[in-house]
Amino acid sequence: MASDTPSMGASKRTSATSGLRNSQTARPVSPHTPQPRARWLRAGFEGSSAPVCVVGFGPEDSRRAGDYRGWIQGSIGAARLPEPVDMEDWTRVYELWRPDSREVDLGLVEDKIERAFRETYNQFLLTDAGTSRLVLVLPSLMPHPLLSSLLSTLFSRWRFPSVTLLSSAAMSATAAGLRSALVVDLGWAEATATAIYEYREMTTKRTTRSMKHLMQEMGLLLTGLGSDGSQVTETADKISVGFAYCEEVVSRFAWCKSQTEEDTSSDEPDQKLSIPSPANPEDEYMDVPFSCLAEPVEKVLFAPGIAEHELDDEEKSLPLLVYNTLLSLYPDARGTCMSRIVFVGGGSRIPGLRQRVLKEVSLLIDRHGWSPIRGKALERQRQRLEELRLSAQKASNKPETPKSNGEEAPSTDDEPADPSKEVPEIDFVEQKLRRQNRDIPVPIQGVLREVESLGPWAGASLTTSLKIRGMVEIEREKFLQHGLAGATRDTDQPVPDRRSGLRSGGDRSSWTLAGWA
Amino acid sequence: MSRPFPYTYISCPCADTPVPDPARKRKSRESPQKSPQKPPPERANTDQGKKLSAKEEQRGEDEDEEQTFDPRSPRSNFSLYPPEQLLYCEECHQIKCPRCITEEIVSWYCPSCLFETPSSMVRSDGNRCGRNCFNCPVCTAPLAVSTIENATGNGPQQGPWVLSCGYCLWTTLDIGIKFDKPTNIRSQLQKMTDSTASGAFDRSRQASRTFGDLKHPLSSYASVDEQSNARERDEEQAGPKEDPAAPPMGPDARFAALKNFYRTQIAETSNSPNDQLSSEFGFSSPGALNRLMSLYTSSSRLSGLYGGSKKPKSKPPVMREALTASEGLQIAPEDEKDMIARLQSPECGWDGMASIDQRATQSPDARFVDDLLPLPVLLRTKRAKRCKSCKHILVKPETKPQSTRFRIRLIALSYIPLPTLRPLALSSSSALPAMAPTPDLNSLPPLRPIHVLLTLKNHMFDPVRITLATPPVTPGHVATKVTVLSPQFEIGANSDVWDEALQGGSAPLTSDSRSAVLRGVPEAGKVWDKGRNWTTVVLEVVPGTLPGSSAEGGDGNPDTETNDEDVLAVAASKQDGDVLEIPVFVHMDWDADAQLDQQNVGKGSKPDDKVTRELAYWMVLGVGRIQASL
Repeated sequence: MASDTPSMGASKRTSATSGLRNSQTARPVSPHTPQPRARWLRAGFEGSSAPVCVVGFGPEDSRRAGDYRGWIQGSIGAARLPEPVDMEDWTRVYELWRPDSREVDLGLVEDKIERAFRETYNQFLLTDAGTSRLVLVLPSLMPHPLLSSLLSTLFSRWRFPSVTLLSSAAMSATAAGLRSALVVDLGWAEATATAIYEYREMTTKRTTRSMKHLMQEMGLLLTGLGSDGSQVTETADKISVGFAYCEEVVSRFAWCKSQTEEDTSSDEPDQKLSIPSPANPEDEYMDVPFSCLAEPVEKVLFAPGIAEHELDDEEKSLPLLVYNTLLSLYPDARGTCMSRIVFVGGGSRIPGLRQRVLKEVSLLIDRHGWSPIRGKALERQRQRLEELRLSAQKASNKPETPKSNGEEAPSTDDEPADPSKEVPEIDFVEQKLRRQNRDIPVPIQGVLREVESLGPWAGASLTTSLKIRGMVEIEREKFLQHGLAGATRDTDQPVPDRRSGLRSGGDRSSWTLAGWA
Repeated sequence: MSRPFPYTYISCPCADTPVPDPARKRKSRESPQKSPQKPPPERANTDQGKKLSAKEEQRGEDEDEEQTFDPRSPRSNFSLYPPEQLLYCEECHQIKCPRCITEEIVSWYCPSCLFETPSSMVRSDGNRCGRNCFNCPVCTAPLAVSTIENATGNGPQQGPWVLSCGYCLWTTLDIGIKFDKPTNIRSQLQKMTDSTASGAFDRSRQASRTFGDLKHPLSSYASVDEQSNARERDEEQAGPKEDPAAPPMGPDARFAALKNFYRTQIAETSNSPNDQLSSEFGFSSPGALNRLMSLYTSSSRLSGLYGGSKKPKSKPPVMREALTASEGLQIAPEDEKDMIARLQSPECGWDGMASIDQRATQSPDARFVDDLLPLPVLLRTKRAKRCKSCKHILVKPETKPQSTRFRIRLIALSYIPLPTLRPLALSSSSALPAMAPTPDLNSLPPLRPIHVLLTLKNHMFDPVRITLATPPVTPGHVATKVTVLSPQFEIGANSDVWDEALQGGSAPLTSDSRSAVLRGVPEAGKVWDKGRNWTTVVLEVVPGTLPGSSAEGGDGNPDTETNDEDVLAVAASKQDGDVLEIPVFVHMDWDADAQLDQQNVGKGSKPDDKVTRELAYWMVLGVGRIQASL
């Protein structure tokens, strides 16, 4: 989710945001909004621009009460690990959940959620838990067992009158001031690109190239730097640097080159950077070429040197992910979304990353246009058509009419068969409409443009403070009676009135999980 | 594992009742809600299992939960508490851990200045101290207000003031902040930090006021026209054109701008189509207009009327998106070369970047140490605690922050015996038991039996009967054999100390204890030592061998990656795999004075108004660390 990560790069949070609202009348300001994600929980009150606190999940947070070793010895992840650890195990203890619920011990998740919420309330929110409405910001794809245990923990532990679920992608768009957007969430377990059109989720595509892999890759890199290449072979995929140390490195110095390889290495002499030595982070420093800290980002998120067709569907590189998501949209939605790209999640803090993604996406657009068809046959056909067109153009010698206001992407030089090429004729209906609505500014379309978002948490806080009711509002009594099974399958419920003040239809007798069903 | 050896932990019985999943519950709804008390589950334990009498405390739990408590399971970390942290509910007669209580805030105060904050101020201050208490953003030490010493002026303290950290020598001068007065620093700081963003902020506020609050039709039209013209002139320029004028807003300012924008949009679009008319013709009350219209158009269709109007718009106005920076839109910068260059620059370096911890409490945009602002101290609360199930008050502190006293405090140790553990001296040489070497608990040799003394001290005024049970072999990878030599015993009441002396009945006890010490050989079935309100029994422990130490060399690489729990267990046990912890099930029962309300119920009431009470829970004894090799 969103900008959730205080740590930039290391966005490990998977994502759930929650917000609580205090419906207590006695207190003037009330609602709070926590947002749990895979690695962090952000919580705060509605109407504030940033969460009050960001709580991580790590081994330190799973200690027994009265176990103060984290304070006495320094936290576990800071020092070098006694022995190399498998990459997966290395990250596992730092996650609240993982997307594959087969691997999750739900009881443990419940324990962690309970403790995290309790401590959040006691230390940061400083309000009585359970007296207020809770708004949770969750990714739109969330395993039901997880959702169920999250909700049952909250409802059975505290007396929340209701919990509202909001989708993190839509909230990110809201926090950017947009109604349609392509929200690219560089999250912990996966990176998702969600196309939002008029607040509705149109499509979501995901890739496993995410911050988790980035951390693992950086861990490997640091392990390599620290080990002097002595026993590299046997510990090929093992990491021996501490997780917290690695996270610090990622969050401070992970960066992304603006271009692929060649020129950067030549034009600047390699800057050296002094970072705590991986072998002994506590007291030694070591010089590392600055450029090598960009390698993991490059390798994990952009998959350089790997042809597109060699990548599995779930491990496309980021630019491909963005491009494919746009490609799967209808042209008008595509035109709208491509000029409203919003990056959220921990990865969006990596300097240079977003610009690089956009640059590569525009390269892709230039190369392929908006056509999913690739291949040699296509090339041949294209050439043939090109010749045809050239001769036809010579004949008619028609000057090219200027494009109307960005119907389509600037897909300049590809398939002539592409209808986008032929729109130039002026649509008089469009023009008439435009003349009528002159006071309504023309929305930008068809240009790649990135818009900053305040992040899903802020979006939820904004939405809630405007008294907008969510589609998914789960009331305590109803949930305790039936659990998730009580939700109606009927997702076409009448949209609740926008203002909670006017409860138009009275209380809804049934509730829905909407997108989470 | 967590504290110096030996230690004891108590597992709150609430761990046995899983979070009820209503969906699951529904399936088994047929079974009566209050299940009858289950017969005592059979323990697998060979020695002591049979002695376990009824364990009513475990009522209601499912069969699959009736396993030995495993202190190594990652979940147990969440249910184990040091005995002194637990509470006891007198209504439910049950131990209460932080998970089974609800809390109510009694007062808010700043831990630094100990001033109480009224509840109305808490939220507006952002849960932080509104006075002069600040923490260093770099090292979190408290900051002091100090003056910048001038060489000349050592007279009355004057001149600009700064906050300075006594630990890391950070001062607000590092970020270019000075204060005019030594008081009310928080509001001064707020003004200063806002000022960077305030330009944009104010402008945006004004702009959106012209839009919404004033509701002047002309003004809103004018500005919209302006924008659309600008847009038509050059779409691309619109964003950048504004940017140089207004420096990028801070998140707060943007948030406020967005909020205003949305509010305006909602106001403009909600009452359509009346809204349209009202904004065009200046009718202040769209409702009135609507009534008026419907008077005349009851027969004809409303839309026909509208069609005839000057601006035919059958569509209700649609909420639009934010278009300008003043509405909260922010276009991302073209590139971040500057930032990357700054990352590389030698003056930044590792220590120039804010760490994750430092950033966690700062604005989300903070990236460099220079971006960090002094942090007002987070408030703390005094909280009353209630039992979650019966709402009985368990803890009620006094409101005053300075007072450490409690009006009510029901701590569990007044009700359950305090367990303490100590190793029995190895002395078989009967010479001086006090001098005999005790085993080093931080490196217990495997497979060599040791004896530990478990003392249970009763704080109740009734004598208590105790039954202990342990699994014969501890769960987990290290199979340690444990035997309680005398699992059933009684602890005397916590009577007045003088009673003991006056009654003289203690003589046999003390002599017994003395002889016990001298005896030096623990015997099965015999209590080791006994005092007025305490009893000591002996546990015989044979530490197992660590996996991978001698015989099982191959076990180091986890082949158990099948499910998360195993892996977690392996990961968790990595650092503490050698810790020897013994789960012990404690069952205690005693005859308590019947309380008024229960006299009639009297389920086990004895003739003399006594009620038998029982309590059962798991306890974990941390004995020591096992040596890796023999």
